Parts: sequence; structure tokens; C-alpha cells
Amino acid sequence: MNTFISGGCKNGKSYYAQNKAAEIARETGRPLYYIATMIPRDREDLARIARHISEREGWGFETVEQPVRIRELLSREDLDLGGAFLLDSVTAILENEMFPRQLKGSAGEEITCDMTAPERVRTELTAFAKAVDAAGGSVVFVSDGIYGDMGEYSDSTEEYRKALAETDLALGAICHRVVEISYGTEEIWK
Amino acid sequence: MILIFGGAYQGKLNYAKANFNVDTIWDCSAGAVPNFEADCICGIEGYVMECAKSGEDPRKCFEENRDLWQDSVLVVTDTSQGVVPIDRTVREFREMNGRLLLWLAGEADRVIRVFCGIGKDMK
Repeated sequence: MNTFISGGCKNGKSYYAQNKAAEIARETGRPLYYIATMIPRDREDLARIARHISEREGWGFETVEQPVRIRELLSREDLDLGGAFLLDSVTAILENEMFPRQLKGSAGEEITCDMTAPERVRTELTAFAKAVDAAGGSVVFVSDGIYGDMGEYSDSTEEYRKALAETDLALGAICHRVVEISYGTEEIWK
Repeated sequence: MILIFGGAYQGKLNYAKANFNVDTIWDCSAGAVPNFEADCICGIEGYVMECAKSGEDPRKCFEENRDLWQDSVLVVTDTSQGVVPIDRTVREFREMNGRLLLWLAGEADRVIRVFCGIGKDMK
């Protein structure tokens, strides 16, 4: 059973998602995977990753580094697709693929936007969700609700916002459950 | 009247088309004045932005034509979150849009919020 989780930032989505994935693994007795999606760009990111790792300690997660090209996980023989996967976050994967140079670039460098990325990311994430579901496993997707403000952004950021929404809607359509988290409380949409 | 609101790109219009008898749609997102002959008027925030630029109250147009939209589906993007915009016109737009949504929600027989393509009745 696949779950899609979204909501505002710092609302407790990751913690909720960790609980959800761990609960599924406990019930099924299958492996519990954490798909790490962040590519660190600076010391702040490294500190954030260290904090996330320590927060997951003792939960039984096996960390799988896959910040781009999620479809590659389907050909990994060391993974049990019948397991419980926590993918946190859809936001990071889309960012990594849409703005690849930003990852290596220094401050002030022009950011290039890969407009082939949105469709590819959407296709790969939905293919991954369907394959895991077909194998009897589960994916818990975490995304970010960034759609309720004025949207006064640069063109590339607005393209990103639109692409994330389209990815969210595609995942929401195929997931069995869609949940919005507001400060640790859950709103079940589906 | 049925009021549908939600964040940007959440599938509000598709939700309206899939769930209600919407044969004719009038899109205000580029700034057009609402045409109340249509079954569904969407992108109302675009008209509100034009009002913010001209200093007009968007509610006036809805009040003057109140009889015409009693059976309509109205679709508005919620822009109420985030930091207060620095630009004065945008700031006024955001307040106008919020006030209009608040009033329309009061007038509506049904209020639906769309999130991730899914609708939920708020009223």
C-alpha cells in the first residue's frame, strides 16, 4: 500500500512518514529502507543530513542513497521490492534533476533548468511506486505543499513549483492513501 | 453556488469538470472580467489582480450580478499563505483575494477545498 504525504515545512511530515514506514515493515516482517535524496551542497546540508541520520537511529532503516533516477532502484538485486520504502523527499529528487548544475555551482553561478526532468521524474516515481506495489511492498512518499502563497518567483522556480505539483498529483492518483500533515496532525484526503 | 478553492496547480478546474455539470467555462486568470453566463468561472484571482491594479473592489462585480451566479461553480486559487508581499499592488491583491474568498464562502451552498487533485467538502 503506497502513501503520499505532503504539507507545510517543519510540520512533522518526516516523523509521521518514518512511523508509517516502520509500522508497515513491522507488520509485514519485510525490510525497511530509507531512500536518501539529498545531495549536500554545503556544511549546513551536511549538518542536516547528520541530524536526520541520528533521528533515524534505532528505527531499523537501511539507508539507500538515490538522489536522482529512482528507476535505478528497480534493477538493484540487493533490495527487496516487497519491503517498506520511505522516500523523503519528492521535492529533493525533482530539484536534483531539474537544477543539476546548481549542485556543483558556486554561489552566484547561473542556474540551468533541465525541462526534461519533470516528466522523467514523474514517470520514474510512478513506475517505482507501481513496481513496489506489484511486489507486495509499500512506498511512503514525502513531498512539500508549496502552493498556497503568492507565487512571486523567478520563471525557473515557478516551473519547479508547477512540476512538483504535477508530480504530487500523479503520485496522489496512484497512492492508496493521501495525507496532509499540519503540525503533527493528519488530514486524510484519500 | 459551489466554491472551489485550493493552492496553485492542485487540479481545481479538473475537479470541477469531473464532478459537476460544467459545459461552459470562463477563465479569468489572465485578468478578464467574470462572464456569469458560463457554468464555471475559474481563475477568479486573475480578475482580482486586475482590480488590485485599478483600485476597484472585485466584490462589487459579484454583488451587482448576484442573481447570475447562484447556480455557478466558482474556482479561485488560495494565495493566503507565505510572507506578506513587498510590492504594494501584490499585497493589496492578496488581501482582496482573501476578502473575496471569505465572502464567497459565506454565500456558497457548498465550499470545496482541492488538495493534490482531491476535493473535500468544507461546507
